Amino acid sequence: MTSFAAQATFYYMAAASVVSALVAVTRKNPVHSMLWVLALFLHVAGIFLLLGAEFLAAVQVIVYAGAILIFYLFVVMLLDLPGEEARPRFGRHWLLAAAAGLSFAALAWLAQAEMPDRVGGRLGPAVGKIAAEGPPRGSLRDIGEALFGPFALPFEMASLVLLAAIVGAVALARGRGAGS
Amino acid sequence: MIAPPGTILALSAILFGIGVFGFLARRNIILMFVSAEVMLNAVNLSLVGFSQQLEDPRGQVLALFVIAVAAAEAGVGLGLVIALNRNKPGADVGDLTELKW
Repeated sequence: MTSFAAQATFYYMAAASVVSALVAVTRKNPVHSMLWVLALFLHVAGIFLLLGAEFLAAVQVIVYAGAILIFYLFVVMLLDLPGEEARPRFGRHWLLAAAAGLSFAALAWLAQAEMPDRVGGRLGPAVGKIAAEGPPRGSLRDIGEALFGPFALPFEMASLVLLAAIVGAVALARGRGAGS
Repeated sequence: MIAPPGTILALSAILFGIGVFGFLARRNIILMFVSAEVMLNAVNLSLVGFSQQLEDPRGQVLALFVIAVAAAEAGVGLGLVIALNRNKPGADVGDLTELKW
């Protein structure tokens, strides 16, 4: 892909993800909201692809868009929310919430603008320099070696966290009188 | 380079702000959880951006852990929603006042 096409794709993905996130948090119908979040997740997966994180893009589509979002949709449809359309969409403090969101975004923006440029560019060494030195390694191989090398203990702890979440979710959702 | 270094962080900041707004403003507990997912995704985006800029796979590994924690959070959170729904139908956080003094 030429550089211009890649840049145009990136800016399209960025604009589309911001728009779909905005629409997702303002829709009244929860199912519509979920579908816009699905659009957001797919666009973010596209940005991951452009940034060279192919494995993470696949995980984003499979885990986020495929599993987590379907889980949310199941629960929304299971609950059969009564009077959803009649209720006000936001609480009374939505202006305060908008101010909080804006200030978080501004804080994050300031944090990256104030970053000292220690190694050449603002965020580190130029990408082209390192990549030119040797044959590029596959990002999946790098991730695998990091995951099962220095990150082996956190990896196992992540599976423990997931196990605890499974047990907790089953125990919570089963209810008091269902078992034993 | 696809995008200038600040662009990805700015996009991540905007998405995080949208997530904060949604979490604070919505009254539906499921949509609040979804706003939290938007925030986690924004963080993932900045981690991947750093990983690409610094040519370091550790950012992507951290993003994987964030996804695992997001899945766990969704499971426990929605289990709580179902347990709450058994006592009182609806998903409005304004109705959950049992712990208020």
